[in-house]
Amino acid sequence: MRRTTIPFGPQHPVLPEPLVLDLILMDEKVVDAVPTIGYIHRGLEMMVERVEYTEMGFVVERICGICSFMHGMGYCVSLESIMNVEVPERAAWLRLIWAEISRIQSHLLWLGLGADAFGFENLFMHCWRMREQILDIFEKTTGGRIIHSVNRIGGVKRDISDSELDAILVQLQTLGAAFKETARVFGTDPSIAHRLGGVGILSKVDALAVDAVGPMARASGLRTDTRLIGANYYDRIEFEPVVETAGDCLARVVVRMREIDASIDIVRQAIDKMPKGEGLPLENRPRGNPLGEVFTRLEQPRGEVLYYVKANGTKNLERFRARTPTFANIPAMIKLVKGCDLADVPNIILTIDPCISCTER
Amino acid sequence: MPNPLHLPMVPRALRNLVSKPATRRYPYEIRPRFAGARGTIEFDVETCNYCMLCARRCPAAAITVSREERIWAIEQLTCIGCGVCVDVCAKNSLSMSVNSRAVHLRSEVGPQGQRPGHEEWHKPAPAAADVPVG
Repeated sequence: MRRTTIPFGPQHPVLPEPLVLDLILMDEKVVDAVPTIGYIHRGLEMMVERVEYTEMGFVVERICGICSFMHGMGYCVSLESIMNVEVPERAAWLRLIWAEISRIQSHLLWLGLGADAFGFENLFMHCWRMREQILDIFEKTTGGRIIHSVNRIGGVKRDISDSELDAILVQLQTLGAAFKETARVFGTDPSIAHRLGGVGILSKVDALAVDAVGPMARASGLRTDTRLIGANYYDRIEFEPVVETAGDCLARVVVRMREIDASIDIVRQAIDKMPKGEGLPLENRPRGNPLGEVFTRLEQPRGEVLYYVKANGTKNLERFRARTPTFANIPAMIKLVKGCDLADVPNIILTIDPCISCTER
Repeated sequence: MPNPLHLPMVPRALRNLVSKPATRRYPYEIRPRFAGARGTIEFDVETCNYCMLCARRCPAAAITVSREERIWAIEQLTCIGCGVCVDVCAKNSLSMSVNSRAVHLRSEVGPQGQRPGHEEWHKPAPAAADVPVG
């Protein structure tokens, strides 16, 4: 048997972003993988030294184009807890609605990329066509398709009228019904089952040992979801995290498909429960400068994200740090890659839903 | 053994034969932007009092204002379109149009290649002898 080292990435057809894995192979089997990141570092955390804390939220949003809303929301929630600002009720509900819609958007994007990676280009087009409808909803309500810039410390900048909310719900439910057809293809197509079923199995014990987060952990049977802690009005929503037990690549696809339905249901509940009417307050502007430090947790589409903010009483924060879900999932990915065939490596890497922009900031 | 007649995409494919395409013929058919979409920053020179608040609050440092020379400049390639300047402008001189900016081939740069936001922007060009060779 010959030992070979193959560099996988930073440019590779299945990788949307630059990740490098040095794969060490014995014949066709991967025996070890050494990850390298650092190709897309932009120094956004360092910008707290130059940008005032009131505007830093717009910079934090640009950490990643897919979970941009959640990044902005996490930053604002952190500052709100440091400065003891209470968010008006309607603003908090609007945040929850936007967060869930962005989860649907992210999962549709990933399902498309995943389909493209295992060679099903037709499904990729279907998923991205549906995602386009979500992006239209975002452009109508926030003003931007990808970068929304609606979160502000103390609330949100824009309101969605009640009639528009109802229209969004109808649109989402129509999309959910149309997605069922695509989901059936993912679930029943024999070539997909052959390509993903039984590949890259992460057992429940291993998922706990390597601290997998998000859909990655839930596909291995762990009932873990940061939304369960009930912050940001999730305690007023009845929801159960989507859990699958198989732990293979197919289970990770199924978890994300089922989460789209779950998110549509959360949006429906939120629209039912939020206070209705025009001209309700949307913002409680904080006064003075922040002083103190805080950890905030949110459930992003890829899993748990952690923000650390330290403020020293000046206009510029002392430290801002984000630990993103992809960073937490890289050990799980390395564990899965060891022992698999070279041909399965792209699928395993893609099913952790890697977002290297988030990881490197 | 998988069933060779299992073809779950067939209904969709048949519907696609008779339905309209999901894409537009882009340069000929342009979808109007939604009302309230964020586009370029527009500046009203009549009302501005050059208070410099927009330049100070801009997270991307894309705006340069000089009170003495009464200059207001924005670098479109650096602007991230967040709308902070529009929110903070006390005189309502700034507004956001729904049209997104055209692609700029070149960034608007200063005489020595600096970007606005740097203090050298309004300084005179150095004499030829000061410029290092090579």
